[in-house]
Amino acid sequence: MRIRRLALLGATLAVCLLLLTLQTRGRAPDAADVVALVTTPVQKAMAAVQRGAFGVWSTYVEWKNVHAENRRLREENRRLKVEALAVTETSEENQRLRRLLALRSRLPLETTAGEVIAREWGGWVRSLTINKGQGDDVQKLAAVISPDGLIGRVVDVRPGASVVQVLNDPASTVGAHALRTRAPGVVEGDARGSLRFKFMARDGAGLQVGDLVVTSGLGGVFPRGIPIGRVRAIEDRGSALFHYAVLEPAVDLARVYEVLLVTGDRRKDVTAYFPAGG
Amino acid sequence: MRALLALTVFGGGVAHATLAPALRIGNVAPDIPLIVVTLLALRRGPEFGCLAGFAAGLIQDAAGGGLVGVQAFTKALVGFSLGLAGGRLRVTQPLVQVPGLVVLSVLEGVVRFALLKLFHFPAAFGDLMLYVVLPQALYNGFLGAALVLALAWAEAQRGRLP
Repeated sequence: MRIRRLALLGATLAVCLLLLTLQTRGRAPDAADVVALVTTPVQKAMAAVQRGAFGVWSTYVEWKNVHAENRRLREENRRLKVEALAVTETSEENQRLRRLLALRSRLPLETTAGEVIAREWGGWVRSLTINKGQGDDVQKLAAVISPDGLIGRVVDVRPGASVVQVLNDPASTVGAHALRTRAPGVVEGDARGSLRFKFMARDGAGLQVGDLVVTSGLGGVFPRGIPIGRVRAIEDRGSALFHYAVLEPAVDLARVYEVLLVTGDRRKDVTAYFPAGG
Repeated sequence: MRALLALTVFGGGVAHATLAPALRIGNVAPDIPLIVVTLLALRRGPEFGCLAGFAAGLIQDAAGGGLVGVQAFTKALVGFSLGLAGGRLRVTQPLVQVPGLVVLSVLEGVVRFALLKLFHFPAAFGDLMLYVVLPQALYNGFLGAALVLALAWAEAQRGRLP
């Protein structure tokens, strides 16, 4: 038994030494060929298994990486979208505030700027809540304007806030006239949210679609000449004593964020200070 | 025995080819066939260890592109020696396994170097030991111990099955 073991070891080592000797004496191709007969099939099988194993593994790792990268990119995409929205929002706000500041500086009126903090936009009431109230020199019935024209009037002054009745509120009425013809009338809101220029005399009004209607200044609530809207359609009821025009508001009332509240003397003509009034 | 030998050598070779690159730490990769030969020799005796070492070493030599027969020689010697000593060693303790495999790997490196020197191998012994043999020996020691523990755990689990 022991001799057999030693013989096996001796034979094995002898084969190794023979292979080495053959290679170092310039017969490497022979030795390599002999080994290749045995090892090549094994190596091929090993390579196949290795390829398979690595293929599966690398596919899995790749999938994991792609999955993780996909999640990261989605997150980044979402963050960038939010940032882009914030930038756009800031830019738009900046633009709006610049316009408001420009109007405030050119108007011959005492005004204070306010920010819309709430809005009531149901059919019964259409109002805005402004972050200026008692203590900010805001008075009831103060005119509320924007760079595009009239928004409404203050109907309630509270500590730190004011409620503004918007032009298209069904209860809103504003004395007005057509800028081109000087035809007087009253602008009222209606339940559908549009504006009507009412009580125009049938004869002599001469109103046309596109005419600008501005505040008349009568009654002393609003300064004269603030744009209210442009005539979109004229409703003629035939034999009625008066007829009315439907107006397109000068201000996009649903998208008002910053306003100017007139705090001082309102008996002034500001027609020339609004671009549309020129 | 032949089937087991073939399976073992093939498995060791596959493991070496597939796992060693993945297990590489820096420039050090474990010698998985040496670990497999060691484990087999301890369990199956000197003949099996010798033949398994020879076959595994031959495949490594052929795959590595160096002198064919060097690792076949050293691993056959390792397999045979451990097969003989297996009955007298307490190799179930990690405290024995790790240093044992380290020493064994170093000895295998020394024998391989000596054998290669006979065929005019140019590398310096100190550098080879410091940068190749010792790091790989340490790695072999820990990996081999982990493998032994894993096998022991697997056998314990199998023993619990009805």
